[in-house]
Amino acid sequence: MQCPEALRVQAYFDGEVDAVSAADIERHAEGCAECRALLGDLERMRTALRSELTHLRAPPALRTRITAALNEESSARTAQRSTTARNTWRTPPFWAGAMSGIGVSAVAAALVLLLFAPLLSKPLIDDLVGAHMRSLMPAHLIDVESTDKHTVKPWFASHADVSPLVADFAAQGYRLIGGRADYLEHQRSAVVVYQHGGHVINVFSWAANDRSLPKSATRDGYHLLFWRAGDLDYCAVSDTGWDELQGLVQLLTNLGSRDHPE
Amino acid sequence: MDDKRGRFEAQVLPHLDAAYRLARWLARSPADADDAVQEALLRAFRGFDALRGSDAKAWLLAIVRNCSSTARRGEQRRAFVPLPEEGDAVAGETMIATTPDPESAAVHRDDERTFDRLVASLSTEHREVLVLREIEDMDYREIATITNLPIGTVMSRLARARSALKARWLQELEAKPHAMP
Repeated sequence: MQCPEALRVQAYFDGEVDAVSAADIERHAEGCAECRALLGDLERMRTALRSELTHLRAPPALRTRITAALNEESSARTAQRSTTARNTWRTPPFWAGAMSGIGVSAVAAALVLLLFAPLLSKPLIDDLVGAHMRSLMPAHLIDVESTDKHTVKPWFASHADVSPLVADFAAQGYRLIGGRADYLEHQRSAVVVYQHGGHVINVFSWAANDRSLPKSATRDGYHLLFWRAGDLDYCAVSDTGWDELQGLVQLLTNLGSRDHPE
Repeated sequence: MDDKRGRFEAQVLPHLDAAYRLARWLARSPADADDAVQEALLRAFRGFDALRGSDAKAWLLAIVRNCSSTARRGEQRRAFVPLPEEGDAVAGETMIATTPDPESAAVHRDDERTFDRLVASLSTEHREVLVLREIEDMDYREIATITNLPIGTVMSRLARARSALKARWLQELEAKPHAMP
């Protein structure tokens, strides 16, 4: 036996009724034991579900997979758009013969610029963000834990293929917390780990090659800043704001130019 | 990065966890859920221009649901859902540190599993409206959009889902009287 008002009571509980109906339903529930019990049940179940049900989150590996799929999709779209633009761009017949050669070459050149510049760095950006996300998983962040650059720096000598700039900027809010070696760009790259407020900043470094790098990139909400110092390429990755990330990069590049005047 | 990708990352990607949760509650295995979510995100990106001012979360969840049922089609449909597994990324793990003693932490984990099991034992139709309402906080109109049902059907299905869950919960409590809340 169910009270005919049960669905309205449920709608009231779910916040789906206006103030007038709400007052009406409250009056009804005062006199209806069944609906009062229903309201109690609904509340207990909601509380239990929201607190007891395992709160799942998308695994980092899935995020990485999706980012890669979206990258592929984005570059495919760019190529398609350029082709479509060429096909639908109708020049008057008189000019067609004279211009076609130039037009096609121009489009081809644009395609090369559009496609290849981002493509060259895309896998690297994915690798960097993937490595950053892995580092945030328990027990993956730090191989050598130290706030002392004289401990971290020599550790890299035996565990990585490069020897990057290591410094502590605790006074400026960027605390050195340790170092790690990650495999990146076909070498054992050195990662210096900083803490800034509640955020982790990974500073990756590897022997520079002839790959041209963007100045900055954003993936999945993570910001990346690239720079080159001496014969090393650096990339700082974090979910901090641009300004905070730029702050650390500024400190590192200032120190670099003081230590190794070009 | 082109503008569309940037807007997509800002508006749609924040709902990736919600998409994953729904897929996990609808899929037969974590791997199926991964595939459904990836396919859904790709479709969402392709159709992103069609999203005009409407709610990105409900829109994405509708696509996830479609991808999940596509994945299920052709397979034998069983009222079986894999429970969250050890090693799944779980939010709020830092709270473990404040749990007073290991014994009560173990009991608490056991209770969590109880609810996972109860929800998993519901039919797919009941489970999906319940999860959308109680976990993802979707209103009736949004649930109607996601499940492609009239609002009246959403209301009655939600009511049946809740009474089915209540019945299972009571059974559970009778089997384990000491676990009375």
